[in-house]
Amino acid sequence: MKTFLLIVATVLAVCSSAFATQCNVNPVTIPKQWITMSQGCRGAVRKQVQMEVAASVQYLAMAAHFSKDSVNRPGFAKLFFEASSEEREHALKLIEYLLMRGELTTNVTSLITIRAPEHKYWSSGQAALEEALKMETEVTKAIRNVIVKCEQDREDNDNNDYHLVDYLTGEFLEEQYKGQRDIAGKASTLKKMMDRHSALGEFIFDKKLLGMDI
Amino acid sequence: MMKTVFALACLLAASAAADVCFNDVSNECGRNTNSLALPSCNAVYGNFGRQGNVANELQAYANLHLRRSYEFLLSSAYYHNYQVNRPGFSKLFRKLADDSWAKTIELIKHVTKRGGTMDFHSRSPQEATEEKNNTIELQELESLARSLDIQKELAERAFFIHQEATRNNHKTHDPEIAQYLEEEFIEDHAKTIRDLAGHTSDLKQFITSNGGNDLSVSLFLFDEYLQKIA
Repeated sequence: MKTFLLIVATVLAVCSSAFATQCNVNPVTIPKQWITMSQGCRGAVRKQVQMEVAASVQYLAMAAHFSKDSVNRPGFAKLFFEASSEEREHALKLIEYLLMRGELTTNVTSLITIRAPEHKYWSSGQAALEEALKMETEVTKAIRNVIVKCEQDREDNDNNDYHLVDYLTGEFLEEQYKGQRDIAGKASTLKKMMDRHSALGEFIFDKKLLGMDI
Repeated sequence: MMKTVFALACLLAASAAADVCFNDVSNECGRNTNSLALPSCNAVYGNFGRQGNVANELQAYANLHLRRSYEFLLSSAYYHNYQVNRPGFSKLFRKLADDSWAKTIELIKHVTKRGGTMDFHSRSPQEATEEKNNTIELQELESLARSLDIQKELAERAFFIHQEATRNNHKTHDPEIAQYLEEEFIEDHAKTIRDLAGHTSDLKQFITSNGGNDLSVSLFLFDEYLQKIA
């Protein structure tokens, strides 16, 4: 009987990475009372990470469109490549926050899935800027919803995650509002330039985005 | 005489092939319409636009970098949670993630440089249709092994595209792509792969020596080492 148990134990040890193998150190458990994010709030932040990544891929598609020979707007392409990397940075900041709060010890693999972007064609730089503005507005709305969830998680005794709420409000919303204002300004200026000189207007605006004076 | 006619014919054929954009312009500008269709005035030259091609492979290569980049990012996150807590490993994977992300953008730029359109659905026939459900929550040696495999996959895909691009007299011959791959990818791959292989050799020795008694402290010190070099 003892031998049988030993065999079972050995098989279990080999099968499960929760046990030590000859190649790794036995996992340890330390007190977990300090891990205080509520389940609903954690889920909301995880979803936000995925949304930032999706936005990052969508900006890549915009940048690819404006890089094409037949479109030839390197200034817009540069703007959107940079926006794409910025969205990726946002996802990273949220991940680092979760790590600081003791999260991401399990279910890390399912945190991010890469899907092909929804849109791949824009009729003009103006159309792309307006879509970017719409996208940023949706991201802002989603962050507000995370804040609402984390400020009062009804499924967890109305738990208020003060620090995360402050972080999202102070850092993320601030950046969203500044970013939206920037895109809105660009869209307005471009639209005015396009009014009577559409081809020339977009050409000049593109070079301005490139940092070139002509 | 015959030779001269032949040479002349060749010259005409060559100039016809080179003047298609000019011909478009001549024909279209002479017409009394308000539109200009210039289908041949594009950046496509050589074999880049043909079927079975380097163009699709290059797009698939960009998509592969994009997916691998986020996998490395998740590995980096996992190694930075409070239980695993290996900041050196985390830094190593973060660097691989950042490199792969930068290459994604580079590849998209190069696809469009050659007159292509980036398709984010593109997959290479070289890839298995169903990706195995790979977990990134692995222990130290396993995760190094997985990274080594991924880096070799990226390197060998570059070799494959290079091979397609350098087959002389074949429909896909494209020296510009071959040169681009050599300079921007192939050179770096050798070093990354060698470094990762070296790390696995070190870990292997820690595991087997002294009856495995050194493992716990070895992994801690090796992580400290990775923090310094990565």
